[in-house]
Amino acid sequence: MIEIHKLTKHFEKIKAVDEVSVTIREKTVFGLIGTNGAGKSTVLRMISGVLKPDEGAVAVDNMPVYDNVEAKKKLFFIADEPYFFANANAKAMERYYSGIYEAFDREEFYRYLEKFNLDKNRKIGTFSKGMKKQLALLLGICAHTKYILCDETFDGLDPVMRQGIKSIFAKEMEERGLTPVIASHNLRELEDICDHVGLLHKGGVLLSRDLEDMKCNIQKVQCVFVSMEDELKALNGLEVLKKEQRGSLCTFTVRSTREEVEARFATVDTIFYEVLPLSLEEIFISETEVVGYDIKKLILG
Amino acid sequence: MTSKNSFLASCRENHKRRIWVWIVAVLSQLLLYGGMMMIYLSRIRGYQANGDYRSPAGFQEAMCRAARDALAFSDNLYGTIFILAAIIGMQGFSYLYDRRKVDMYHSVPVSKDKRFAVVYLNGIFIYLAANLSGMILGTVIAVSQKAVNVDVLANAGLAFVWNLFLFLAVYHMMILAVMLTGNRFVTVCVFLAFALYELCLQSQIGSLKRIFFKTYSEYYISTEPKLSVIYDCTLNIWNIKNASDAADAAAIAMPIVAKWILIAAVLLALTYLAYKKRPSEAAGQAMAFPFMEPVFKVAVAIPIALLAGGLVYDTSYQNEMLQMAGMLAGGLIFCAASEVLFDFDIRSLFKHLPSSGIALACILAIFSVFKWDIFGYDNYIPAQNKVESIAISADGYYDSYWDENRPYFEKSQFEKENMFLTDTEPVLALAKAAEGADPETMGDDRYVQILYRLKSGRQVARAVQTDYDDPATEELLNQIFRTDAFKKGVFQGITDETSYAALEGIIYTNGPARAVIPVEEAGRLREAWIKDMEQFDFSLVRHNRPCGILYFNYKNYNQRQWYVYDSFENTVSALKELKAYYPMELDAADIESVTVTCYHNELTQQDNTVDYEAEPRAVAETWDAGDTDYSVSETFYDEEQIAQILPHIYCTWGIDAPWGRYKDLDENYSLEVVFKRDTTYPYQRDSYYFGYSFYAGQVPDFVVEATAYSGESE
Repeated sequence: MIEIHKLTKHFEKIKAVDEVSVTIREKTVFGLIGTNGAGKSTVLRMISGVLKPDEGAVAVDNMPVYDNVEAKKKLFFIADEPYFFANANAKAMERYYSGIYEAFDREEFYRYLEKFNLDKNRKIGTFSKGMKKQLALLLGICAHTKYILCDETFDGLDPVMRQGIKSIFAKEMEERGLTPVIASHNLRELEDICDHVGLLHKGGVLLSRDLEDMKCNIQKVQCVFVSMEDELKALNGLEVLKKEQRGSLCTFTVRSTREEVEARFATVDTIFYEVLPLSLEEIFISETEVVGYDIKKLILG
Repeated sequence: MTSKNSFLASCRENHKRRIWVWIVAVLSQLLLYGGMMMIYLSRIRGYQANGDYRSPAGFQEAMCRAARDALAFSDNLYGTIFILAAIIGMQGFSYLYDRRKVDMYHSVPVSKDKRFAVVYLNGIFIYLAANLSGMILGTVIAVSQKAVNVDVLANAGLAFVWNLFLFLAVYHMMILAVMLTGNRFVTVCVFLAFALYELCLQSQIGSLKRIFFKTYSEYYISTEPKLSVIYDCTLNIWNIKNASDAADAAAIAMPIVAKWILIAAVLLALTYLAYKKRPSEAAGQAMAFPFMEPVFKVAVAIPIALLAGGLVYDTSYQNEMLQMAGMLAGGLIFCAASEVLFDFDIRSLFKHLPSSGIALACILAIFSVFKWDIFGYDNYIPAQNKVESIAISADGYYDSYWDENRPYFEKSQFEKENMFLTDTEPVLALAKAAEGADPETMGDDRYVQILYRLKSGRQVARAVQTDYDDPATEELLNQIFRTDAFKKGVFQGITDETSYAALEGIIYTNGPARAVIPVEEAGRLREAWIKDMEQFDFSLVRHNRPCGILYFNYKNYNQRQWYVYDSFENTVSALKELKAYYPMELDAADIESVTVTCYHNELTQQDNTVDYEAEPRAVAETWDAGDTDYSVSETFYDEEQIAQILPHIYCTWGIDAPWGRYKDLDENYSLEVVFKRDTTYPYQRDSYYFGYSFYAGQVPDFVVEATAYSGESE
């Protein structure tokens, strides 16, 4: 488990991270969402022990991580622009990392290289941006660390490669309990990967929730009531996060389980009603609007 | 787990990232040692082909000497090592400049200590491997040419130690610069600041003292940089190279090496501290620690400003106000430039004005201290009861000094080591008298250098301007010159403990005549001369010119010179007994001719005093024509005329007059005296003529007439 407690970091006069507290559980895919400059990379660099927090603490399996080799053995950090040695090829990078990470699986690495059609002898400098990210991910996966920290790593990968990497993540999570932490500025990139999402804005955490919890506890209902009394009766006791009305068609976003919503609406007179699934994007819009933010401006542009 | 094997594996891995440094280091050392060795030895073989060596032993000695020059201490080498240390230091830790590299290196499970140790030790290893490769190649070439002996190898070993610690001092300096900065350009700036700061600051402060303090003197105490390895090398390589053997070279080199070890250790400690404290986010920034920015700016602005002020002073005909303006402008420009450097943004020119203000205030304060002598430098004369002893050097005498351990050392050094005037009153009175003296009114203004040794242990040096023509000054100098302490501190012939075994010959000369005296007479002559020196004082040397000089010639071309005056009865008597005395005045019967040249300085001075404002055309014409030669020469063959000339002339050929009056001799005339070829007078036959001058005011009328300027130059 990675525990982040009141993490704060300044760059000169700019507060890049402001008292961020998040807990990243094992065997989950943690998504760190935020706009550019929200502090995602800084948080990841502090988790990986690159940066020393000004205040607060990061503990990886109860060990402080900064300048702590034992804690770092459990982490593999893939920066937004991964560095490869000048004139190196994939073999050279493998040799370097296998010298550092004791559990590095060389056979697996070369197997994955073949699978992803990456030439082990080709100079990395001639790779495309996406290929470099694939290589960095494969190196990280084969290092067999408990946690893999990916900073914008999925941005720029084509859907097939993303799917391939996701499959490997799933396999590694299943087999050895890998915990990926993925930072991205794009919510849609993470929607189908993450189990848990933390939303960063201006250095602070707006929210941190399990996606399943969010999905189960928030519902969108479209309906046409017969009368105003029916509407009041149906919504009585429900937490309405959002209401939109076009003519007589009302759309509610309410915090509740699907069963409870259906039970409520079944007891009143409606011309039509339907409980609809919410996308991650819609859930975030609703949740952040509640706390006064316009999520569209934050992460969707 | 950090095992020995994993450490070595990390070292190997690190070397892979440093291949170009390996190539540069090894190639530079191989080319340097190999090239120098081949060039030096082939040069000696060339000399041999020209027949420069009379014996095989001489040739062999020269070959070994050449091999020693190539393999051991070399001017060519230390510059290369300096650059190599800087390159290796910067390249090793250059990953700290790049955020991508920092992200990778600092996130992997390798401790900071281990990474530092790996990179640091690998840097030293690269240097050692390269340096040893070069030395081995040089040695192999030397052995193949039979140019190696124990001394060559001992010197090479000593040079290896010297070069290693030179490397370490510079290497640590560069690594510290890397730790304090975030990009290559700023690192080089900070490194140069470290390497040159003391040298530059001291040089500029020295310049200010020279400009503003009339009593400033570097004669006894020179302000040498204490921590500059560049200065240490520049100053000492020549002495070490020319030491007689490895032991002598070690005696000079080892104290410096010990100092370098200390410097290197302190720099390493600071480097490690900075490394541990350095934040990863410093990559790409100008300075790793924000507090360093104003420190660097203010600290470097000062020598830069002093340098700029000095340049303005030199180019503005020594205008002090313009110098101050130049200093402020230089400081301001540097402050603005450093802000641009820190932010990589031209718009930051006037950022952080408070620190720029502090820099300018410091610059103004320094200028004020010198300009208005705020601390009373020029008025310093210690209280008599605080002075332990004094060494003094009155302008007008110079000698070359040597002893059994030193082939040559400065007069000031001899005086410092041997002159301890405890009767300090006349010296202090001399300094006091000089306080209000106006050099413009002085007849013969000369500097007297004074070293005050205070009872507190402190030593203070000053120079005072005195008038040798002033009777009061003459009396004070007499009191000083008469003391044994002064004589022992100036004349090595008095204190000399050198064994006569090394004496190869004794010569007495009055200029043209040269008498060889048996070395067995050395003791007797010295005794007589020391006895005569009891009458030595300033008036003696001021108003009398030597009648000759005794030269004691020792092995290795070493020499002592003892001035003999007419009043030195004991010495003159001994010389006469040895039939070696020849008076200054010559016999006309021995002289073939005397050629007198009159320069007509009065006409040249007249040309130079043409008023440009009043007669610009005349000045222009004079410049256009160049200097007019007004000299007129006349050769006299008539023995009678020559006999009238000879009593009034003094030999200036090989004879000088310590502390003598320039005005004693007539500068308007020079004479060339030619001896008859068949004369028995023992003049030095390898010279065709001998230079003489008239005593002032003693030019015979017929000579004046014969050399009068008639309007046409010769």
